[in-house]
Order: sequence, then structure tokens, then C-alpha cells
Amino acid sequence: MLTLILVIFLGGAILTWLGRKINPLLGDLLFLVSVILPATMFVMNIKVGDTIAQHTLLGIDLVWGLSPLAHLFSLVVVGLGVMLSIYSISYMRGKEKVGMYYFSFILSIMAMLGILVSRDWISFFIFWEIMTWSSYLMVILNGKKVQSIGIKYFVFSALGAYSMLMALVIINSQLGSFMLSDTFNNFQHLSPANQILIPVLLLVAFGVKSAVMPLHIWAPDAYSNSPMGYTAVFSGALSKMGVYGLVLVIISMTTQLPAGSLIRIIVAWLGGFTAAAATLWAITQDDGKKLLAWSSIGQLGYIVTGVAIGTPLAMLAAMFLVVVHALFKGSLFMAVGAIEKQTGTTDFKEVNGLIRKMPVTFISSLLSIIALAGIPPLAGFVSKWMLYEALIQNHNYLLVVLLFFASTAAFLYAYKFLHGYFLGQEEPEWAHVKEAPMSMTIPMLLLALTTFVLGTWPQLLFNSIDSAMQYLGYDATNGKLWTDSVLFSQWGDKVALQPVLYAIIAVFLFFAIFLYFKGRKATRYVTTKDISTSGEIPKEWENLTFKVNFMQPFERAIEPFLKRQIEKYYLGFGKGMEALFDFTRRIYTGNGQTYAIYAIVFLALLLIFRVSLFG
Amino acid sequence: MVGTPVLFIAIPLLAAFLIPLLGMIWKESVRIVPGLVLMYLMVLAVSLMGHVAHNGPIIEIIAGWAPPIGINLVFNAFTGFLVTLIIFMGLLVWLYSYRFKSNVEYEPARKYFILLMMLVTGSTGVVLTGDIFNLFVFIEITSISAYALTAFYTGRDSAEASFKYVMMGSLASTMLLIAIMLIYSQLGTLNMADVASKIHLMDPTLKAISFILFVVALGVEAEIFPLNGWAPDAYAEAPGPVGAAFAGIVVKAMLYALIRFTYTIFDLSGAFNLLIIIGLLTLVIAEVAAIRQDKLKRMLAYSSIGQMGLVMVAFGIGTREGVFAALFIMLNHAIIKPLLFFSGSYLVYHSKKKYISDIDGMGKLAPFTSLLFALGAFAIVGLPPFAGFWSKLSFLVAAADNDMVLIIALILAVSIVEIVYYMRVVNRIFFFKRTTGLLARRPTFNAYIVMSVLGIIVLMIGFFPDTVTGYIQAAADSLFDKTQYIHSVLTASIQ
Amino acid sequence: MEHILIKILGAIATFILAFIVGMTYGGVVRKITARVHNRLGPPFYQNFIDALKLFSKKTAIHHGVMHFLGPAFLMVSSVVSLMFVPVLIPGGDSWYNSWFSNMIYDGDLIFLIYIMVFGSLGMALGAGQTGNPNSSIGITRGLSQMVGYEIPWVLALVSLMLMYKTTSIVDFINVQQETGTWLMFANPFAFIAGLFALMGMFHYSPFDIIGAPAELASGPVSENGGKFLFTMMSSGSVFSFVKLTLFVDIFMGGASNLVVLVIKTFTLYMIPVLYGIVSHRYRTEQAVTFFWKWPLFFGLLAVLYAVL
Repeated sequence: MLTLILVIFLGGAILTWLGRKINPLLGDLLFLVSVILPATMFVMNIKVGDTIAQHTLLGIDLVWGLSPLAHLFSLVVVGLGVMLSIYSISYMRGKEKVGMYYFSFILSIMAMLGILVSRDWISFFIFWEIMTWSSYLMVILNGKKVQSIGIKYFVFSALGAYSMLMALVIINSQLGSFMLSDTFNNFQHLSPANQILIPVLLLVAFGVKSAVMPLHIWAPDAYSNSPMGYTAVFSGALSKMGVYGLVLVIISMTTQLPAGSLIRIIVAWLGGFTAAAATLWAITQDDGKKLLAWSSIGQLGYIVTGVAIGTPLAMLAAMFLVVVHALFKGSLFMAVGAIEKQTGTTDFKEVNGLIRKMPVTFISSLLSIIALAGIPPLAGFVSKWMLYEALIQNHNYLLVVLLFFASTAAFLYAYKFLHGYFLGQEEPEWAHVKEAPMSMTIPMLLLALTTFVLGTWPQLLFNSIDSAMQYLGYDATNGKLWTDSVLFSQWGDKVALQPVLYAIIAVFLFFAIFLYFKGRKATRYVTTKDISTSGEIPKEWENLTFKVNFMQPFERAIEPFLKRQIEKYYLGFGKGMEALFDFTRRIYTGNGQTYAIYAIVFLALLLIFRVSLFG
Repeated sequence: MVGTPVLFIAIPLLAAFLIPLLGMIWKESVRIVPGLVLMYLMVLAVSLMGHVAHNGPIIEIIAGWAPPIGINLVFNAFTGFLVTLIIFMGLLVWLYSYRFKSNVEYEPARKYFILLMMLVTGSTGVVLTGDIFNLFVFIEITSISAYALTAFYTGRDSAEASFKYVMMGSLASTMLLIAIMLIYSQLGTLNMADVASKIHLMDPTLKAISFILFVVALGVEAEIFPLNGWAPDAYAEAPGPVGAAFAGIVVKAMLYALIRFTYTIFDLSGAFNLLIIIGLLTLVIAEVAAIRQDKLKRMLAYSSIGQMGLVMVAFGIGTREGVFAALFIMLNHAIIKPLLFFSGSYLVYHSKKKYISDIDGMGKLAPFTSLLFALGAFAIVGLPPFAGFWSKLSFLVAAADNDMVLIIALILAVSIVEIVYYMRVVNRIFFFKRTTGLLARRPTFNAYIVMSVLGIIVLMIGFFPDTVTGYIQAAADSLFDKTQYIHSVLTASIQ
Repeated sequence: MEHILIKILGAIATFILAFIVGMTYGGVVRKITARVHNRLGPPFYQNFIDALKLFSKKTAIHHGVMHFLGPAFLMVSSVVSLMFVPVLIPGGDSWYNSWFSNMIYDGDLIFLIYIMVFGSLGMALGAGQTGNPNSSIGITRGLSQMVGYEIPWVLALVSLMLMYKTTSIVDFINVQQETGTWLMFANPFAFIAGLFALMGMFHYSPFDIIGAPAELASGPVSENGGKFLFTMMSSGSVFSFVKLTLFVDIFMGGASNLVVLVIKTFTLYMIPVLYGIVSHRYRTEQAVTFFWKWPLFFGLLAVLYAVL
């Protein structure tokens, strides 16, 4: 069954690509079918179990099954995949290379599910690489800066993938098995050096995908350069594969190591720095895509920190954030896509005042932004609260301050995002803009509403997370860290989410009604030109838009930080390597005499070192 | 049995002589005859492979003198595997170039196919022969036809490339002869099996010296750094299919000879380390040079050299898994690299200088060719689920089993370089705007078939690697079992 | 049902208390400021007059939905956070004590920090839709400054959480009841860092960059009048009360009855006010980086003190 599902994905990808050549409509249809059909089959038929399908290639057993942990992640992949496939139909209409988009989309969904069902490292790696190159096609799909952004993405992905490859062949040589379970169970049988080397290599591998500093520099460009319909998958699901791997490595490997706690602390701090630095960079962006890209990196930083700390509460928080981040970031990327579709630009400096033109997009963005900022009563708060409690109780006080700083600074870009697109002066230039079609707005609204529901009833998700965590060897958290919609911590602190929601709704309704109905007749709507600027009424032609250098004062405050870009060091390294390569290339002079001399010298060298070579 | 191993040498040689004569009767026969010959040889190779699998190696004795005095041919799982590969490549090259020169006159076509036949003769001879001097002769046959093919376009550049090749080649021949002399003077025999059984009697210094001479001589032909200066020029200046033939046929044969000397004939313990060192050097320098190339064929040439370096490292591991990996890489390289050469040469067909930048935006103009090139590129850098992944994996597994952690790290680092330059080209094909006004050339029907077949094989090995691994495993076992080889040759009698 | 009804009545009582205290403090501050400036100043009840006037005025214009929702969000933030701050020591002996218990057992400090931010965002959104550039500038300044003072504030709180292994405000009060020591003496560095943050929170000079009358024409509120401004003003008063009470609860042992509460909060309130009167306004980046210098140092010291 599982094999069949993957084959349907694969065949569907190719058929869609071909169908698109014949007739665009046929292509759209095939695309929907080949995402939704196997996705539904997956949800309906694939139950948690150790071995569901098995193949043998090259004498290596490829074992596929679904662990509770993978099941949790597969929810994200399937959910986002289906939502975005519906969204993509409208989003990609009238764009170039739609066939390739559909092809890569389906393949990357397949690859992600493949990663999750892999119970051995080889199938894991195969699907991992398929995911890499299919997402690579997406990154360069628009043909902009292909050689810099695309290659940067691929080089980092390859760095990660090859670290993994190296780790897994070493595992195989030492343990004689590629099975994930054997690796974790027999981890103690590895030599001491390898016990350090392998987790580190795997951390690099998964750190690249989950964009942990300093391996993150591909991410902002790759995210923002890929089509928005896919960026949501990229940031919501694809990066979570890195998190999935990190969970496996950190929980199942480093806990068996004496030095494991050190590794975990380092990773946790890297996650914290990622969160803080990415947030600051997000604040400086003037493009919604880029802003969200950096924001994704920041959010992944929280997740990584949570996973690395690894206490039950931290794990619960991280896993919850995995799902919730997929929801709200998916919704936000879709919103940006809708804006791009309707206005043709995603630059804050160009487009503004869309709130009255695209209300549904605004509402889903607002909900998602509130969730992103971690403000109650939306789901982002639940994970933030649990993460902070976990960090404080685990005595990571400075780390918690760093994360607090990051999430406070996140308000800045959250506001910048909302203000940039929806608020501010309404220019006549954008008067023609209409709301995006239903097939785009409904998926984004659905995702945003889900974050709302999960914000008060997180137990809907906690059950899945709980079984995933029990699979990883944690005790049951139900009743200890949460009961129904009440969150606890070991110290006995708690937040009751339902009373919070009711209080908020009550106060909100009371004042909203008061504000709306008090003297309603007397209050009339006026345009944003009709304002008082220091007592003057601005003329029609006066441009009062405030978008350029929106966060300038803050940017000035963090200027010393902004000067230090990791990317510059990488670029320097890359340039140096290319220069070295060029120098090496000159060995091939193109001159026959030189080549003859090489041959003679080589012969002479071999003869001279004959004794040391052959004894 | 449909024939004996000697036919692999006799028939193409005969064809090479007959082609001009037949051409006088019917001009088209110049193109058809090589195809028929190669098809027959293919059938022969496959059936002999089947025979070998059941009945053990075939030792054919030439001219009625039993080994070690007479010359013998050895067709076992290992040599059979390589011969099949060579014939198969020859067939594809023939099919691809059947109409390739249809617009040129009869005269060049005749030359071309004669030389191709000679190339096949020499290469199969190198692989099959069981005699060192005989090996030398076949190497010369192969090289000479390769020189001529390099200079096929009769331009200034091709002449220069060919001249460099000749120069290095003659240097190699000299050394080869000296080495053979040393062995003969010491052991009084040139039969490989006989030499192998007596090699411990040889004076250690002379043994080492003769081995070094062999390494250098064969290294020139097998494109080992720093002896491979001729190769990029030759690949770049020769016609597209010839580049494929070099990568798929000549280098394989020469590498075979080197491996035969290392594994079977000599018993030097340091030889494997030497293979690893020069393999790594070749790999690193070639890949690093490839990234800085601006001509497509040159880039592919350096990439070929790099792959050969990798094969050498794999052989240098010295275990059965290492040999398996090496042969697997060779097989994949023999399939993928021609695919790249074939599709690549169509992509830059109309370009004068064959710059990589001339293929910008070709994906729109020539979607099929571009797709196949991309497939080849993805496969050769080892992305799953394509063919190259499995060979890379088996190599890494073999290396890891021998605790070569640093070597693995180095090779993977080089792989990143490889990815960069291949992806740069693929990016250009699909995601760049067309800047030159050059049109794409539609591949001929035959070329379509050849490229499709190669593409399908790439996918097939990618999804079902076990279809080929059985043969490779048998070949690896056969190379590894030195005593079996010696025994079967020396006890062979005239049937 | 009855239980909920009592809760609601208690909430209304708390709100009225907070409203009155906040408004009065505001008026008193205006008076004090004027006296220091050697002016006569308005009477201390001037704020009530202003509020009444705004309430009864007609509001002529609005700029769209968010213009309505912004002040409503602001109110949500101040009222809901009021619900979670113990006004008086829980279980105290004054007869009105149970009126103010509200929802103090349903949330903790971390929750409170977040719900308090809700208002800023709502305000920002409401101000954003008016299209007045001054409003947006004010908002960005306000948010920037928030990032600034959040660090010492969180450091101070974390150090206390560490010392007493709790994040619950009620527990902090209880700890002070049991030990008899106010936390401002138990960890003086945390108090100092917290005080700096408090100054940032109150937006008095030198941190009055949001409103900045001469530069931004009162910033975010500039497009609001009538019912909008009334709501904002009430929310601001309630919010001042929340902040002061929270501070008193955490650092100054809480209050057992209203008189003590008024004394403590008023004393505390005078610190930012009086410092503000004699200071000139910072530039925005100065206001932000100010908190990353000495306040940060004291915050770190507080954590260090807590660890040792």
C-alpha cells in the first residue's frame, strides 16, 4: 500500500508534467488528483506500525513503516500539501513553467512522506536527496539569480546530505546495519570517536535543512526565491524534516553519550542565536517574502532550542510549534502569494492599504501574525509558554532571555508585515485591486482558523505529540503537563486557556460593540487622505505613505550587529576556493612539452620513493 | 556457444580491412557493416557471459601453443563484463554516429568507421589477452586509432590535440616496452598467469621499477594525473561520439590493464596505496579543473578524468567490496558519460567555440535533449534515485568498511564541487534566457534512440540496481580470485 | 452560573477601581509636573473631566474596521491583564478582598507578559489604518523601545523565578508573606533592572518617544477623538494601574488593603514621573540602546545573584 502511494505520487508527477504539455486544464486536474488521492490514501490507510513495506536493493533492506513521531510530522506534510495544492492552481495560473512546478511539488511531497516512513538510513537518504533536488528546482523556478541562490542552496544541501551519507556508511561499517532502530539501540557499540563524530555529522545534515546558524545562509534567498505556493511547503514542512532528523539524533543518540549534554547545550544556544539574529534580520527586510523567510528561520530556531533542551515540556513545546508554525507560516506565505498575484509586487514600499480590498487575506494574516507573535489566545502562545517554562526550569536562564528578546523583537516585523501590506495610506494606484479567488483565500483562512482553535484547545494536538514522545521514550505528558486545555509545568505554574479565551472574547465584544454602536450614525468613513497632519488637511497629490526606512531607529540601534554577516565569510571562502581552483586548473597548461615533463617527473618521483612505497 | 573469444578480436579487425573494399561495391555498406559486426559481437558477448556464469572461465589458446608458451585469451566474468561493456558502447557510438556524418562525404565516413572498428579491436584485445606483449600490441592498436580519431576534424586545434596525444602515447609505449623487457629478462616468460605465479622470484628492486614503469605507461592512457594532459584537448577536439568512445571504451580498457597488473600479476603490497594516492590526486585535480572550464566538452572531459580517479581509489581499497564499487562506477560512467557527451554535443552543435554559455535557455528549444542532459548530470553527481547514486553508495560503504574516514570526507567534498559545475550547466539550460541567436539542432533519429536507451538504463539502474549487480559481483569475484586465474590459465590445454 | 456572575461583578469592580486610580494618578502627575515646571497646572480631577468630555462628544469620522478594532484590542489587553494581576494579597483579611480575586490562579507571569503586549499590537493596527504617518512612526518607536526594556525586565523576572522556583505572581506574594522580606531587598539587582524597565514602560521622559508632542503630533493617537480617544485613555489608565500593581505584587510584598496599595503604587509611580520631569527626550535608538547598557548589566547581575 505504501509503495503504491509513493508510486502514485511519482507517476502522478510525471503524468501531470506531461498532461500540462497537452492541456493546461488537464494538467491542473491531474495535479490535484495526484496530490490529494495519494495523500488521502496515506491518511486513511497507513497506520502507525514498524514495518509496512520492505524492498531489497543492492543487498540493502529498505524498510518502510510509520512511527508515531513520523506520523505527527506526516500530518503537517499532508495537511500543508493538500491545502497548497488547491492554492497553487490559482496561484500558478498564467505563470511560466507551471508543469515543472507541479512536478516538483508532487515529488517533494512524496519525498517528505518517504523520509518519514523510512525506517532505514538508505531510503531516508534517497528520499532526502529527492526532496533536495525537487525543492532545488523550485528555488530556481523563476529564473532569477539562478547561479547564486540556486547554487548556494544546492551546495549547502549537498554539504548536509554528504555529512549524512558519511555518517551512515560509518554506522553501517561499525554496526553492520542501516536500520534506524539498530543505530539507536546499538549506539553504545560504536567506537568512542564515532560516538561523537556521527551525531555531529548528522547534526550538520539536519541543521542545514532546519536552517540553524551558521548553516542558514541559503535559507532566506531560497525561501523568498521560490514560488509562494511552494514557499509555504518549504518553510512549513520541508524544513521540519530537518527538525525530524534533529529529534532523532538528539533524543535517540546524544542522550546515550556522556558528552551529549554539551552537544545539546551547544545546539540549543545555536537555536537561540538563530532565533534572535534571524528576527533582527527579518526586521530590516522590505520585502514580505524575505521577511517571512527570515522569520521562518527564527521560528525554526525556537524549535531547535526546544528539541535540544529535550525536557518533556520543551519537547512538547517544540513539537507543538512544529505543527503550529506550519499552519501560521503557511497561511502567511499564502497571503503574500495572494498579494503578489493580485498586485504584482511583494515590496512593502510599493504596495499598501490593502485592508479594505483584500479583507479575507487580512484577517487570516492578522490571526497568523498574532499566532506568530505568540500572543494569547492563539496557538503560538501555547508553544512559547511551554518553551519558556521549560527553559527556566531547566536552568537555561540566559537562553530564555535571548528567546524573550527574539520574540519581543518579532513584534516589530509582525507589525511591519501587517502595516506594510494592509495598513497605511491607500494610494489610488492600488484602487483596482480585488480580493484573491476563493481557492486561494479559503486554504489560508482555514490554516489561520486552525491556529485559533489550537490556541485554546491544544489537547487536539497534544494527544498525537504525546504518543510521538512516548515512542521516543518520554513518560506520558497527559495529566502532568496538560489536562484538557490547561497547561502545567513541573513547578505547578499553569495557564487555563479556556477562561482566557472567554475573558478575551467577552472584553473584546463589549468594547467592539461599544465603539461601533455609540453614536454610530454620526461616525462616517473617510479616506486616509482625510487626516490631520499637524493641523493641516493634506492635498490629494501629497504622498503621505510612510514605508521607506520603516524601522530605521531600531536598525540604528542594532547597527553593530547588522554589520556582521556570516554570509560574507562564506562568500569570501567561496571566492578563495574558486581562486585556488583556478590556480590549480593552470596545471593543465595546454603545452605538450609541459605534459611530457610532468610524465618524466612523475616517473622520477615514483622511482625515488620506490622504497617507501613498496618496501 | 555461438563463437569463441577470439572472434572479438578477429571480426572487427577483419571488418576494418573489409570496409574499404566493400565500400567500393556499395557505399552505404561502410556505415552498415560495423553495425552488423558490433551487433553480432554483442550477441556473442552476452551468450558467452551466460556460458561463463555456468561453466567457469573460457581460456582460448591461440595458434596451438599451450600457455605459458603460447598466447591465450581469457574470457571470465571480469573480462567478459568489460568486453560486453565495450561492445555495447561501441554499438551505441555506431548507432549515434550512423547518420552523424551523412552530410559529409563518403571518404571521412569510411575513415571514421574503420578507426572505430580498430578501436574496438584493440580495446577488446587489451581486455581479453593473457599475454603481456600481446597486451602491448593491442594497446598500440587502440592508441593509434585513438590518435587518428582525435585528429578527425583535420583542423589546426585537432591536429595539435592529436599531436599531444601521440607524444604522450609514444612516451608511454617506450616505458611499457622497457617494463616488459625487465620482466622478460628476469622471468623468461610474458604469459600473465605464468608471470603472476613466478613474480616472487623477481628481484624486488626490478619488480618495483617495472611496476612503476607499467603504472606510468598505462597511466598515460588511463588518464591518471599528472599524465593526462592530453586528455582534455583530445576530448574537446574530437567529435562528440569519439569523446564518448574514449570515456566508454579506451579508458576502460587501459584501466583494466592497470588493474590486472596491480591485482593479478604483481604482488606489491604498496600498490594499492599508490592507486589510492594517484586516484585521489587525479580526482581532486580534475574536478577542481572542471569547475573552471568554459567549454562544455572540456568540462565533461575533466569530469571523466575525475571519475576514473574515483574508480582507481575504489580499486585501491583492495577489498571485494572495493572492486565491486569500482566496477559499478565504471559501468555507470560508461553509460552516463556517453549520454552527457551525446546530448551535450547536440546542445552546443551550432556553437563555434562550444562555450557553456552558448547553451543558455536550450531547455525551451531542445526539451528532449536538455532533459536527457539534466538526467545525466543528476545521475553522475550521484543524486538518488538515479544510477550514479548506487555506485557512489557502494564505494562509500566499501571505503567505510576500511575506516577511510578522511578519504570519504575528501571525496564527498569533491563531490560538492562536481555538483556545482554540473548544476551550473543545468541551470543555464533550463533557467536562463536565450542570449545567442543560435538555433538548436534536432537530433537524428538514431541519436534519439541512443540517448533514450541510455536514459532508460540510467533510470533502470537507479530504480532496480539489482538487475546489473549480479554481473558486477561475479566480475569482482573473478578479479579477486588470483589463484583461480593462474590455475585455470596454466592448466588449460588445447581442446 | 452564580459563580460566574460573581466573577463578572468582581471584574467590573476591579475595573472601576483601576479606572479611578489610574485616572487620578494621571491627574496628579499633571499637577506635579506643572508645579515642578513652576506652572499652576490643572486640578487633579482634570482627567475625569477630559474623559467625560470625550465620552459625550460625537465622533465624526473613522478610517475603517481596524480603527474600531484597535482600541478594542487595547482594552482587551488592559482589562484581561488586570484580571490576572492580584490587586490585593489573596486570602487577605479585608472584607472586599474576594472581589479582586478575578482570574489570578489561571495564568502566570509569562502569560501576563504576552497578554500585555496584545494591546500594543492592537493600538498599532488601529493607528496604522488611519494612514497618518505620524501614527506609524510613533508605533515603530514604541515597539522598538519595547524590545529595549524587555531585556532587563525579563532578566529581572527570570532571576526571581529562579530564586523561588515559580512563575506565578500569587506565589511571589506568598513567598514575601512567608519570609517577611520584600523581593526588592531579597534581590536588589532585579529590582533595579525592573525599575529601569518600568521607566521604559511608562513612556515618561526621557522615553516619551512615542507621543513626542513636538515631533509627532502625539503619535499613534493623533487620528482619534471622541469614543476612540476615550477608550484609549481609559485603557491607558487601567494599564498604568496594572503595571504598578504588578510591580508592587512582585517586588514590594503586595498590598493587604486598598490604602496600602495606593501608598505603594503611588510611591512607585513617582519614580518614573519625577525622573521624567527633569530629563529631556532621547532619540529612539538612544532610548532602545539605553536599556542594553546599565539595565542589562543589573539584570545579568540579578541572575548571577540568583544563581549564587
